[in-house]
Amino acid sequence: MGLFDDRQNDLTRDEFERLALRHLDALYGAAVRLTRNERDAEDLVQDSLLRAYRFFDRFERGTNIKAWLFKILTNTFINRYRRSNKERTLVDGPEQEAVQGQLVSRDAADAAADPERWYFDRVLSEDVLKAVDALPIDFRMVVILADLQEFSYREIADVLDIPVGTVMSRLFRGRRLLQKALTGYAVESGFVGEDETRVEDLAEHRRRRGQTGSAT
Amino acid sequence: MSTDTTTFRSMDCADFQRSVDAFVDEEFEPRERAEAEVHLSGCAACESLAATQRTIRAALRTALREAMGPATRAGRAPEALRRRISGALERERRPLWRRLLTPFPLAAAAATAAAVLVVVASHSPNGQLVEEAVRKHHRDLPLEVTTAAVGAEAIPGWFAGKLDFKPKAPNFAGQQARVVGARLSNLRELPAAYIKYELPRGRQAGLFIVDDPDGRFDAGGRDVEIGPRHVRIINSRGYNTVVWRQDHTVYSLVSDSGEEDLIQMVRGSTPDP
Repeated sequence: MGLFDDRQNDLTRDEFERLALRHLDALYGAAVRLTRNERDAEDLVQDSLLRAYRFFDRFERGTNIKAWLFKILTNTFINRYRRSNKERTLVDGPEQEAVQGQLVSRDAADAAADPERWYFDRVLSEDVLKAVDALPIDFRMVVILADLQEFSYREIADVLDIPVGTVMSRLFRGRRLLQKALTGYAVESGFVGEDETRVEDLAEHRRRRGQTGSAT
Repeated sequence: MSTDTTTFRSMDCADFQRSVDAFVDEEFEPRERAEAEVHLSGCAACESLAATQRTIRAALRTALREAMGPATRAGRAPEALRRRISGALERERRPLWRRLLTPFPLAAAAATAAAVLVVVASHSPNGQLVEEAVRKHHRDLPLEVTTAAVGAEAIPGWFAGKLDFKPKAPNFAGQQARVVGARLSNLRELPAAYIKYELPRGRQAGLFIVDDPDGRFDAGGRDVEIGPRHVRIINSRGYNTVVWRQDHTVYSLVSDSGEEDLIQMVRGSTPDP
C-alpha cells in the first residue's frame, strides 16, 4: 500500500535536500547572529527547515529558494524567540523620518580626512561579530541579508514582509551603526542629526524623476 | 524591459547624493544607472562620494565575510546539525495511510489502549532523548500559544495541522496541574508537541509528546508501575522525568517537582478524548 507513496515522498525529500541543504551554512550563520546563541541557532535552523519541508508543496519551483528559506527562518525567529523578549527597538514607527540625518556627504568628508578609518582590515573577527550582535535586531537582520547574504532590496523586502523603503532606511542606519562600532567611534547622541539631506526611497526617487513604473 | 533613451534625464548632485546607496548597491535599473554615470563623468565631488561609498561597502562586506562567512566557524553549520536535519527529514517521510489517519483521533481505540500501556524500550542507558527533553524544558523558550490568550481548552487544538500526528494530551484535571501554554518543539529528530503546566508550590512541568511508531525512543531510568501503566522514571540534572508510551505516542513529563507528585499526576490522568 505504501510503496508508491514512499517513492513519491523520497523524490520530494531528495529534491528538498538537494535544493535546501545547500543553504544550511548560510541559514546557520544568520541564525547564530539572530539568536546570539549556538544552541538556539541550531534549534531555529532545524525547526525552520522542517517547516520548509512540510510546506514544500507551496514553494514555487524555479523561484529563489534561498530567499524562501530565509523568509521561513526569520518568521520562525520572530514568532518564537522574539515574542516574549522585549528587544523591540525604536526602529519601527516613522521609519522614513528616522532615516533623515547622517548625511552621506559627512561620511565622504570623514573618509577623505582619514581614509584609513574606513578600512576594517585590522578589526578582529571576534569584534566584528560583537558589533553585529550589538545592532538592534531589525538593523541586524537587514545588514546580514544585504551585506553578508547579498540579497537585493526587493528580496529582503519579501523575506521580511516590509516595504523596500523600510529596507533601505534600516540598511542605511544599520550599516552606519556598524561602521561606527567597527571604527571604534563612540556613538554620540547627535548621531542622527538634523541635516536635511536624506536617503531616499528608490520608489520616491523614481517618482520624483518622473519615471514611475517605466520598467519591470 | 525597454530602456527608453529618449526620456533620458540629467541628474544633479542632490539627486545623486540622495540615491548613492541604491547606486552603490547596484539597485538602479540600466537607465537610472546610465543617468548617474553621465552625472559622475562630469562631477568630481559625486564621483569621489561614490568611490568612497563603494570602498566602505566593500570593506564592510569583507569584514563580515571574514568574520562569519562560509569559511569561518561562525558561518558553518556543525556536522551534527546537518546529520540531525537529514535524520529529521527522513522521519518526516510517512506513508499515505498514516497521513490519512492522523487527523482523526481514534477515540475508541485510544480508550481501550489506555489500559494496555507498554514498557518503553530502553536499549540505551543514556536516554539521549530524555536528556534533550530536560534541556529543552530547562531552557524555557517562549510559548507560542498561552492559556492566558486563548483559554486552556483551545491548547490541544492549537497543534492541529502543525505536526504530522495529532498529539493527544493526557488530561491531568483534578491533579492541580494548570496548563500554561504550548509550543512546537523537537526531541532531536522527533518533532514534538510541548505543553507547559504549573503545579502547586511554584513547581512547573513540561510534557513532550512525540510520535514514535518505530520505537526509537530510548529512556533509561527505573521501571515503575503506576496502576496499569509501566513508566520510566529518570532523575537527571535536577529534574525528574516520567516517560511512558501509549501505542505510537511517547510522553515525557519533565518537572522540578518530586517523584511522588509526578507519579500521582500520571496516575490520575486520563487520555484526552
